[in-house]
Amino acid sequence: MSSVLIKNIQVADATSAHNGKTVDILIEKGQVTQIGKSLKVTAKQTIEGKGRFIAPGWISLMTDFAEPGYEHKETIESGLNAAAQGGFTQVIVVPNTNPALATKSSVSFVQQSAKGHRVQLKVMGAVSQQLEGKNLAEMLEMYHGGAIAFTDGWKPLQHAGLMQKALEYVKAFNGTVVQIPVMAELSDGLMNEGPNSVQLGMPGIPVIAETLLVNRDIELARYTGSKLHLSGVSTAESLNLIKKAKKDGVAVTCSVTPYHLLFTDDSLSTYNSLYKVNPPLRSEKDRKALIKALEDGTIDAIATHHKPQDWDSKVKEFEYTQSGMATLESCWPMLRKAAPHVTAARWAALLSQNIATIFGLETTSVAEGSIADFTLFDYDTEWMLTPENKASLAFNTPLLNETLTGKAQIL
Amino acid sequence: MSLSVKHLLGIKDLLPSDIELILKTAEKFKEVLQRPIKKVPTLRDTSIVNLFFENSTRTRISFELAEKRLSADTINFAASGSSVSKGETLIDTAKNILSMKVDMVVMRHSATGAPHFLANHINASIVNAGDGINEHPTQALLDAFSMTEKLGDLKGKKVAIIGDIMHSRVALSNIYCLTKLGAEVIVCGPPTLIPKHIETLGVKVSYDVRKTLEWCDVANVLRIQLERQNKPLFSSLREYSMYYGVSKSLLDAVKKDIVIMHPGPINRGVELSSDVADSKQSIILDQVENGVAVRMAVLYLLAGKKDNLI
Repeated sequence: MSSVLIKNIQVADATSAHNGKTVDILIEKGQVTQIGKSLKVTAKQTIEGKGRFIAPGWISLMTDFAEPGYEHKETIESGLNAAAQGGFTQVIVVPNTNPALATKSSVSFVQQSAKGHRVQLKVMGAVSQQLEGKNLAEMLEMYHGGAIAFTDGWKPLQHAGLMQKALEYVKAFNGTVVQIPVMAELSDGLMNEGPNSVQLGMPGIPVIAETLLVNRDIELARYTGSKLHLSGVSTAESLNLIKKAKKDGVAVTCSVTPYHLLFTDDSLSTYNSLYKVNPPLRSEKDRKALIKALEDGTIDAIATHHKPQDWDSKVKEFEYTQSGMATLESCWPMLRKAAPHVTAARWAALLSQNIATIFGLETTSVAEGSIADFTLFDYDTEWMLTPENKASLAFNTPLLNETLTGKAQIL
Repeated sequence: MSLSVKHLLGIKDLLPSDIELILKTAEKFKEVLQRPIKKVPTLRDTSIVNLFFENSTRTRISFELAEKRLSADTINFAASGSSVSKGETLIDTAKNILSMKVDMVVMRHSATGAPHFLANHINASIVNAGDGINEHPTQALLDAFSMTEKLGDLKGKKVAIIGDIMHSRVALSNIYCLTKLGAEVIVCGPPTLIPKHIETLGVKVSYDVRKTLEWCDVANVLRIQLERQNKPLFSSLREYSMYYGVSKSLLDAVKKDIVIMHPGPINRGVELSSDVADSKQSIILDQVENGVAVRMAVLYLLAGKKDNLI
């Protein structure tokens, strides 16, 4: 492998002695060999890093690559390419494929398909067989086959008894159960319940559809003593519950999507299905609470919730359209726009180190001797995501053909 | 004078001056409808398709009559159930019909926002004839027209909308229309049938029909939409009619000359008793008559053929 010299780049890595400093970094054979001011070395390739940051490689949490089963929406290959375009060196996929990733063999199919790609793929296995929410899937075997956590993904576990059993079952290997907190019984609406839903004549999904499940699952985690990760939290009240549970010592962590940080239910005023996501986009008050929680540590991580859709699934009557947003390639510009004051080092924690810690993944740091698995990003580059330059097969992002600010890339 | 909008998707998008223009124009058409020959050549050579993805009798007939009396060429398309169940998408259906050179679309659909969606994909003017639980703008306009006929200027008038507010597109369109015209509005019904946050639209909420009737000048009683309910929202029709139904004895007890309205079709004996529906206080049949004139006005104004005589 060739050598690379990155000049004048600012380090965004709280675990590094160089954090916040502008340095030159020499990488040889995939390893950091020298870090320092104005290195007097030559390398095969030189990258000018002025105005950019370097961080441990970002991880896309809760990623849907739709393969097997929905290859017209995304494939493992197109998804991995999109992740690379968005600055992610690792992705963690959800099991919502067809067949579901609910057995060791289906988990290894996906792992095998991703082999050899620059971007590493990790799998979350299903909690329940066929994602039906009835019986436990073979989690122990999937764990030994490399599954890093368990979730029913876009089909949150509704049954309290099954959730309890799942949390208990994964204790055998100190595993984590991941839940998107959406209570189906209270979620037959089409958007956040509030003044906007009333004005638009759309049935609403109340905040309690989320908080009741957050509360229930926190109590189950407290009772079982197991590790719970709540992903896609969207309301201020959920954050209060999680904050309190953390204080109490419950092993709960949480993540938020880039779109809940950037958009609110105001975006639905023209019935644009590109903003139809689950949990739904909430109020400005909720959005502000999410931003605040990014900094005070209540939110541990960013989860991309990359959910690709084909044209026909999104372009019809709002009620009949599928939910979800393709986020991999526009994640960083969304985050940067939503919370411009968050520091680069905090972003590195939210997008990489914390995720690695929660799910027991290997991570690197900007230090001599470390593996060179890095994301480079800036706050200024203006660019456009277009149907021609996007790597994802999906088009379901409202940011297509918009001018975006901030670019991330992987090294 | 012309409208500020290209489509009539909802009252929400209209300016008060748009509403006033439509009502004023409807007055002229109402006069036309009293003539021995009720047909005018206004929309000759204009083709209008009535796209009904949901069952309708009176709204469809009313639109069709309005179109015919304006001398428009009309085509009717009715699909039982949604376009999805037909296997063809809404855009495909609409584009296929429009490629035969149709100028306007009157559309009813069970999904909220369906006409707004279509408006983004086709060029023809769209008149919303009811979308999901969202809006039914021409109904609100004919209601306002009928109220004005009876009571004069609606500014400061007190209007109660009673019944299933949550599933009623008539309610939402009426709320927008009446508040834009300066009327005061109360919505009244069982709490399970009144959406949370409705007060943000500038209306009051009541769960007491008698007190509501004592307060109002007009009571617009809505149909209980049994077909729209997929979960139990009240215990029984019997209990509903006892506590939320408008009956003669209740009106007598209120001792006030309240105008009674209903968008039809009436569930007699449920939300409205027959002796009220057929009483002198009721202007239900005036509403139906005015519906044709109001829809003629809407089609005429959207067609934008200013020079034509009416």
